[in-house]
Formats: sequence, C-alpha cells, structure tokens
Amino acid sequence: MSTFEEFDEKDYGKLTGGIISRLGNLLKPHWKWVLGFLLCIATVSAIDSYTTFLSKRIIDEGIIAGSREAIVRTVFIYGGVILFQAVASFGYVYLVGILAERVRYDLRKNMFNHLQQLSLSYFSQTPVGWIMARLTSDTERLADLLTWGILDVTSAVINISTAAIFMFLINARLAVIVLVMLPILIVVAFRFRAKILYHYRRSRKMNSRITGAFNESITGVRVIKALSREDDNLEEFSELTEGMFQASYRAAWLSALFLPTVQVISAIGLGVVLWRGGMQVQIGAMTIGGIQAFVSYITFIMWPIQDIAQVYAQTQNAVASAERIFNLVDTEPGVKNRPNTVDVESISGTIRFDHVHFAYEEDDPVIRDLSFEVQQGEMVALVGPTGGGKTTIVNLLCRFYEPTKGAIYLNGINYEDIKLQDIQSRIGIVLQTPHLFSGSILENIRYGKLNATDAEIEQAAKLAGAHDFIIQFEKGYEQDVGEGGNLLSVGQKQLISIARAILARPELFIMDEATSSVDTLTEALIQRGMERLMENRTSFVIAHRLSTIKRADKILVIEDGQIVEMGTHKELIRKHSKYYHLYTCQFRQELEAQYDVLNKPEPDNEG
Amino acid sequence: MSTKFIYDLDLGKTVTKNRLVGLLRMMKGYYWLYIGAILALAISTLSRTGISLVLRSFIDDVIIPSQYGTQLVLIIIIFIGLALFQGGFSFISGWLAAKTAERVTQRLRNYLFDHLQRLPYAYHADAKTGDLIARSTSDVDAIQRFYGEQAIGIGRISLMFIVNFLAIYQLNTKLALISIITVPVIIGVSIFFFSRVSKAYEEYQEQEATLSNRLQENLTGVRVVKAFARQGYESYRFDQENWQKFKLGKKLLSIRSLFWPVSDIICGGQMLAAFFIGALMALNGEITVGTYMAFSTLVVLIIWPMRGLGRLIVQTSTGMVSYSRVSEILKQVREPLTDGEYQADSPVKGEIIFSDVCFEYEKDNPVLYNINFTCNPGDIIALLGSTGSGKTSLVNLLPRFYDPTSGVITLDGVDITKYSRKFLRSQIGIVEQEPFLFSRSIRENITYGVHRKVSEEEIIQAAQFAAIHEVIEEFPKGYDTLVGERGVTLSGGQKQRVAIARVLLKNPRILILDDSTSSVDTETESQIRSALEHLMTDRTTFIIAHRIQSVMDANRILVFDKGRIVQMGTHQQLMDEPGMYREIFDIQTRIDVELEKEISSVNL
Repeated sequence: MSTFEEFDEKDYGKLTGGIISRLGNLLKPHWKWVLGFLLCIATVSAIDSYTTFLSKRIIDEGIIAGSREAIVRTVFIYGGVILFQAVASFGYVYLVGILAERVRYDLRKNMFNHLQQLSLSYFSQTPVGWIMARLTSDTERLADLLTWGILDVTSAVINISTAAIFMFLINARLAVIVLVMLPILIVVAFRFRAKILYHYRRSRKMNSRITGAFNESITGVRVIKALSREDDNLEEFSELTEGMFQASYRAAWLSALFLPTVQVISAIGLGVVLWRGGMQVQIGAMTIGGIQAFVSYITFIMWPIQDIAQVYAQTQNAVASAERIFNLVDTEPGVKNRPNTVDVESISGTIRFDHVHFAYEEDDPVIRDLSFEVQQGEMVALVGPTGGGKTTIVNLLCRFYEPTKGAIYLNGINYEDIKLQDIQSRIGIVLQTPHLFSGSILENIRYGKLNATDAEIEQAAKLAGAHDFIIQFEKGYEQDVGEGGNLLSVGQKQLISIARAILARPELFIMDEATSSVDTLTEALIQRGMERLMENRTSFVIAHRLSTIKRADKILVIEDGQIVEMGTHKELIRKHSKYYHLYTCQFRQELEAQYDVLNKPEPDNEG
Repeated sequence: MSTKFIYDLDLGKTVTKNRLVGLLRMMKGYYWLYIGAILALAISTLSRTGISLVLRSFIDDVIIPSQYGTQLVLIIIIFIGLALFQGGFSFISGWLAAKTAERVTQRLRNYLFDHLQRLPYAYHADAKTGDLIARSTSDVDAIQRFYGEQAIGIGRISLMFIVNFLAIYQLNTKLALISIITVPVIIGVSIFFFSRVSKAYEEYQEQEATLSNRLQENLTGVRVVKAFARQGYESYRFDQENWQKFKLGKKLLSIRSLFWPVSDIICGGQMLAAFFIGALMALNGEITVGTYMAFSTLVVLIIWPMRGLGRLIVQTSTGMVSYSRVSEILKQVREPLTDGEYQADSPVKGEIIFSDVCFEYEKDNPVLYNINFTCNPGDIIALLGSTGSGKTSLVNLLPRFYDPTSGVITLDGVDITKYSRKFLRSQIGIVEQEPFLFSRSIRENITYGVHRKVSEEEIIQAAQFAAIHEVIEEFPKGYDTLVGERGVTLSGGQKQRVAIARVLLKNPRILILDDSTSSVDTETESQIRSALEHLMTDRTTFIIAHRIQSVMDANRILVFDKGRIVQMGTHQQLMDEPGMYREIFDIQTRIDVELEKEISSVNL
C-alpha cells in the first residue's frame, strides 16, 4: 500500500561498494538475528535436498533390495529430519520477520530524528508527500531486500549447491548435464523477471494516475456537472485504464509465460537425463531410485532460480530507495549550531537587524538591506501587502533561516553565536493558521511546557480566554481536537495556541494575526489573550487588525523586502503616504464587516 | 488502439444480493474466456499427471525389463510432448485468466468513473471523498485479485487435487485413500491460521496509518515544533508509535511463523505415511516400482498445494467485502443527462420565473419557502442575505443540482425539468467563491468547459477579458503552467480569474456568480470587478452578494432571511422603504463619518 508513489522517481540504482557497506551497517547491530536466520534457512534448504536423497534410499535400499527394515529405518530418519526442519523453518520465518520489522523501525527512527534537525528551508522545498514516501514505501523496499532478499538468495544458493552435491554423489555424468542446463535457466529467468517488473512498475504508475483522476472527478464534481464535461472526462479516463490494461496485462502475460518456459527447458533437460540415465541403469552405474531423485531435483530446481531472479529484479529498485533514504539522512541542516557558541541566560533585551539580506534562491532577494532596532518590551507591528516579506522577517528572527548577508543581534550578541535551542526555546509563536496536534486540548496546551501541571494549564487557558469554551465541551480539557485540530473552529484553535504560548512563558512573542474573520466575541478574546502575552515582553506581530496596529510602539511598513515606512501610528498617519492608505482601506473593511447585518454569526445550514 | 474500449455493460443492473452471483454477472462477456482458462488449466494439470504416469511406464516397461531402444525413445518423446502440453496450456490458462481479470476490472473502473460523475450532486454532497476513492481504487484492485488470482488459484488447487487423486485411485484404491487422510486437517488449519493472520494484519495496518498520521502532523506542523523547540519530544512520541508497530509486527509474525512448521509437519507426516505404506506395498509386490514412483510424485502434487488453499479462501472474503462496497455505489441511480421532453433548438433567451418554489434537503426541514419572482432576459438579480439564508440553495436549483420540493421554475416559459440537464447546464455558467481548478495546464483549465477545438487567440482573448492574461504570461511556462493540486500555485484571486476566463469561453446565457472579493487586496479586486463586468454583459446574471456595493446596479435585489425573500426591488426602491436593506446601506455612510473622525483625531 503506497499512497505516496505518485512522484516520478528514478526507480533503479547501482549497487556500489559505498552503498553495500552502508547497508551492512544497518544490519550490524542485529548480527545475531542475521546469523540466526541464515543458519536456519541454510538448514531448511539443505534438508530439502536431503529428503529427496532419502526418497531415493527408500526405493533403492528398501523396495529394490527388498529390505523392509531399510524402509522402516529410512522413514524414521525422514520423519526426524522433517521435525528438525520444521523447527528451523519456525526459526527463519520468525527471525527474518523480526529483523525486517526492526530494520524498518531503525530506518524510520533515524530518518525521523534527522528530520527534526533539518531547518525550515528543507521543508519549504520538499513536499510532505516526498518525505512520507521515504519513511513508508522506500523503507519497506529496502528492509525487504535486506531481509527476505538475502534470505531468498541464501536459500536458493544452498538449495542448488546441496542438490548438486547429491546429484554428483548419485551420478556425476548426469549431474554435469544438469549443471549445463543451469545457466540457461538463470539467464531466461533473469530476463523474464526484469521485464515483468518493468511492466509491473508501469502499471503501478498508471494506477496512481487513475487514483488521481478519481480524486479530481469526485472533488470537482460540481464543476464537471456545471460544464457538462462527463463525456470528455470518460474518454480521457478510458485512455488511462487502457494504459493500465496494457501494462498489467503485459506483466501478467509475461508471468504466465515465464514458468512454463522454465518448465519446458527443465523438461528437455529431464528428457536427456532419462535417456542417458536409462543407459546408465543398464550398465549398473545408476539405480532406479537415482532416476527418481534426478527427476525431483530437476523439477524443483526452477524455484530457487526464479527466487534469485526475483531478488535480482527488485534489487535495482531497492537500491534506488536506499539512495533516496541515504540522501535524506545525509542532508545537512541549513541552520545549525556554530562551534564555540556563547551561553546566554536570556535573550530579552534589544533586538537589532543590521543590514540584513535574505534570499531563498540566489539572485532572488526576498529581504533587502533591512535595519532596525527594537527595545526590550516594545511591540512591533509588521504591515504591508502579502508577499512583501513580513513572514520572512519573522522566520529570520526565530532563526528558522539565517540572513544571507548582515546580522541580527540579540542583546548585542550576533544570534548565530548563540545555541539554536537557547533562542528557540525562549520564543513563543502563534501562527496565522494555528496548527494543533491530534489529541486532547490538554495535551495541545501542554505542548508549550511538557511538565506543566493540570492547574498550570488551566491557568494558561484562563489567561488566554480559552477556558470558558473548553469547559463547555462534554469532556472539557480531555476533548479531542481531531486531526490537525479540525474539530475546532479557527478562533478556538487560535485561543488554544495562545494558551500554549502563554504556558511556555517565552521571552519574545511572535504572532501572525489571522486574516479570516472570527466572530466578534472570539475576536475580543483573542485580542485580550494577545495583550496578556505581550505584557512586559518584546513582541512582533504581523498585524491585520487596526486595534493591534494602533497599539504598536513601532510600525514597520514592509514592501518588496524593504522597510518603506517606520514609526508610530500617529507619525505615519500624518505622513499621509503608504501607511495612511493601508490604514483607511483597512478601516473601511473592518467597519463594514463589523456593521454587516448580513453576516451576523448564524448557524451554517447550507451544503 | 483504433477502437477505444470504454464499457459495454450496465454494471448497475448486475448487482445482486448474492455476492458470488454478482461477481459472476460482472464478468458477462468474458465467460468463454474464463471457461477457456479453466479448460486450459485442466489440460495442463492432466498433462502434469500424465508425466508422472509416463515415468511409471519408464521404470516398469523400460528399466526393469531392460527394453531399451524404440521403447525408450518413444517414452522420452511422449514425456517431452506432455511437458510442452503442460507448459503451453498453463501459459494459455494464465493468459486467458489475466485477460479476463484485467478487462473486467478495466470495464469496472470505466463504469465507476462514469457512474460517479453522473450520480446526482446530492449524492456527492453527502458522500465522503476519501471513501469513494478507496472504493473505486483499492476495492477494485481487490476484485481484480479475486478474478485473477483467488478464483483461478482455488480452481487450480481443486483441479490438481481431483485429477491427481483420480490418477492415484486408478493406480491403487488403498493408496488413494491413504494419501488424503489429513487433507481436511490441512485445509482447516490453514483457514484457521490465515483468518488469524488477517486479523493481526489489520491491526498492523491500522498502526501503520497511525504512524503515518503522526509523521504527517510533524511535517505539516514543523514550524510549531521548531518554535517550541520540541524536536526531542516529537522524536519520543514518534518512537512510541514506531515501537508499537514493531511490536504488532512481532505479534503478526509469531502467528505466521507458527503456521509454516505446523503445516510442514502435517504435510510432511502425511507424505511420509504415504511413502511408507506405498513402499511396503511395493515390497510385497502389491504395486510395481514404477507405480510407487509415480505415486510418490503425485502425492506431492496433492498435499503441498493444499496449504495454500486456506490462504486463498480467506483472501476471497476480502474480495467479497470489496464487491459489496463497490456494488453500493453501482446500485445508485444516475441522473439522466440527455433525457428531456422539450428540445430547444437555439440558445435560451434567459427569462426565468420562480413560482411558489419550496425546497428542503431533508424532510420537514425546508430551506426555501414559497419563492416567487420573475427575471427578464439580461437582468442582473442580486441575492443578499446572511450565511444560511438560502441564497446558495436557490442558485443550486437552476442547473438542477437539486430539484425543488414543490413549485415550478420556468426558463423561457418552459419548466426547467422539461429541458435535458445537459442542455440546461450548457446555458449556465458558474463562478464559485473558491473555484475548483484541475491539475492540468492553465490552458486546459480555461478550455475545460468547451467541447470543441479552441484557437489560441480565443483562449488569450478570454484570458485578457478575465484580466489574467498578463499574469499567465509572466509564468515561465505561460499557458502550459500546471495548476498544482487544488490550484496551490495560483493565488485565490488568480484562480478566480482563470475560472472567469473558463466561463467566458463557454459563453453561457445565464450566469451564477458568487461575488467574493473580500479575501483579495484592492488592486486585484478592481481587476476582478472589471473581469466580471465583461462577463455579465448581455447575460442573465444571478449574483450571490456579500457586500452592498456589488448589488447596487442590479435590476432586482432579493433580500433573504431564513429561506424567505423579505424584500425585493431595485436599489432605489429598497432605499425608499424601511427594512434590512436600508439598514445595511446606512452603515456605509456612517463608516465614512467615523473614518473622518479617526483621522482628524490623529492630526490634532
């Protein structure tokens, strides 16, 4: 099950020495399990060959020689061997399975922990689905190769070689004939497998496109109906299913042809063996039981060969997965601690941006030569059009990114000389679209301070103005917020994220005000919550509400990555320029919304 | 592909209560192919058994009496001939079965796709997208496996059992009976184990989903994680779920790893018992050596495949469950698109009359009460009212996304239910508040609603009128820019203008606009406004208005409150009477006064 396969990825890779040694390192800590399953599977495979040899003895030493006692004895040995084999089978299935689970666990853990260290730039450039695919389908594939792949190859090699040994023991000449046939079988099997896998992959790709088409036609059904696009859509879709048919039919066709081809080749080999074998019996160099043994060895030799071919075909695929996984783990975080960091007790104090430049991509500056200073306890409002760079400034301040040129000073210290952890653990953020984690309200607020008591949490919720709506839930603080908090309204989510920030007692507070309208009551609560948070703290607000903007000690009007105006509300209004226009425009909109009799909050009945 | 295969069977009619019968009926048109596959399978199985019997003859007629020469050559020729037969027919069987399974599911996919887009809008409004997608994809895959793997696999194992049992029976009755003693046990054990496994597997899969969710939340909430410096905590929480998955995997494994040795011992024991008794009989001369040898190969073909039978039987139950889930969609009734008593031969003029229209989504919960109004061709009708007052419900009636519960809507004097939906919808253009764009190029999105070849000039002209041409030109790939999922690469305002261009190109006589410009900045707003003016020229237009400015030019303003029209008239008429409309308007003037006051207070 891989929902994240929709990306066009390279799906074959070369097994180089470097990769092999890294793969080896993945197995190293679990070498006991590896050794265990290898021993078990080797036993099982060798016994498979041995039981055939026992069958031969039943015929030759028992039936032909007329010895009842030999039959009984061989059957007892046979029975013992089967019991022993059963134990070994249990061993390998269990050990290899547990190893596979463990390798998956390790891979996911390593990747996840590494992801936590990577900086925001990585996440803004990498789609979530891509990362998910590394931790799901790629992990599965790689673990399969390292466990079942190795198992299949070991089993096949032991099986074929022990069978060869027994065949040589029975009759060397005939054994040579079989060994000549082997390479032909191997080549044919490898070719078939590679081709089948190719078509199979094609069909998986078509399948994900079909899923995409279903997704779009269901989510966009209103538009499709309105535009009467049904016939055209069906036409297009049927091309996809035809492509899917062609690919998977081809794969199934080849699979259907594969085994019979191998069987016919072995049958021809067997024909030769019977012919030569018959002659050998005549001159006494071969027994009837021997013939029987050859028949089974040849009949069953195609299975290990087909297993190896299968592993061979999957290896390329799995190596490509390994490359992607290693690639992720090797990615250096863009923002990390410098050597020789300074220990700081606190980051409160003045904040100074000194000729700060920033570009996500070279030659495309987002922030240009930004300089300003903020005193301890001041409130700064960032205003301006979307895409002007307000969010980037906040991201720089949190050190999610670092300036490409210039520097940011906290209390006179270049913040790149301070430990990341020391900065980020002292900042509280409330995002525009608040992100909650699935779980209870209690857990979500506690995210701000993990060892907080329930009383502290309630206190924070009260300060944030969230307490009143929380206790109205049936389960109160234990109420589930749903995935991403989607069981709550935007306003409620915002209040909870304010409570979360209050609990964290940050030294610096950053808020990205929501643009979407919430009802008046919640709005007032949010405003009060914000005020609480800003008391005695330096704060930065990406502001959309006039009441917030007016309260600011310093307003920065940001446009095209630069400060175009800076000052207090009064100063900027008197200037009668950019800010004045922004303000009057916003003023009208807000009042319109406020007086809007149309949109008095009412239950939403419409579909 | 010259002839395109879409679907040739109304699958909605094949649905029955009995799921096996339903699956069978779904195969209609491929019965012969599937029967062919089974016959080929039978021939292949017979040949395989034949090979063992030839071996018997090889020992008894060639080796023991030392009759080499032609006898030997003949036997080897027959042997290879049978092998070719076996291989050839096994291939034919696999080929025919694959073709049947693939074609039947292709038809099912096409049918489902078409079915879903032709089900009434009401169905989609209630259904969950994710659920419908799962039914159309993974459940269809499960049905495909039912035809291609499970049904044919069960057939193969049963045939092997029957043919080989009969062969042994014909060799020696006693041996035949001895070799199948434990078969019911093997089947029973494997069904028991695999139903356990499939339960444990479900748990494991659920944990997989939990783990994925946790990962996804961490990735989408990365700013929060970083802002609170909670990396360590996140790692800890992820590890908990990760470890839980490891533990569930272990549980699954312990069941699985027990099955193999247990079944190995039963099968091995059965085989060994057969060998033992067979060998003793050969020793006593009851059977020949050749017979013993043939028997010992045949018995393997009976016993070992039985282990797989349980798994297949358990798996078919998932196929059946999937069939039920799919058939729930299949049996829904489509809305007829082309049926209509009245055939209009030219575009409509656009005169619309609502007479006593009532509408409810659920019984006894009406959302529109006795709506009456007339709208002349080319009129602009503005609908004003709070959320939930019935505006959207009213416009949903025009393209017949829903039909009125009572009352009549006429278009050019004809009841709209008499037009075919296809014709009706071709006359109506809709611009939604949050338009849905498809993940195709911008060009394809603009031409999405026209069913003909469109020249480049026409597309550009539409884009220019919609004030989006220049924006598109600025993209590196211009009109070939792919729109991300749900149009993420375009801003809200840009999406809306692409949607306007789409409707412009469609050129409908009636227009439904959801006038929402609140989320875009002033500049974009004026661009959208001019685009809309272009669009409204010479068309009957319904505007769902959110602000008073956009209704002032309307020929008729309908003020909605709780599903009723409380006021109706032009701006001037409504201004002259007391009521909601005037209240709203008065606020406008008040705002200007307040702004004046505010600014002057600063300047003091």
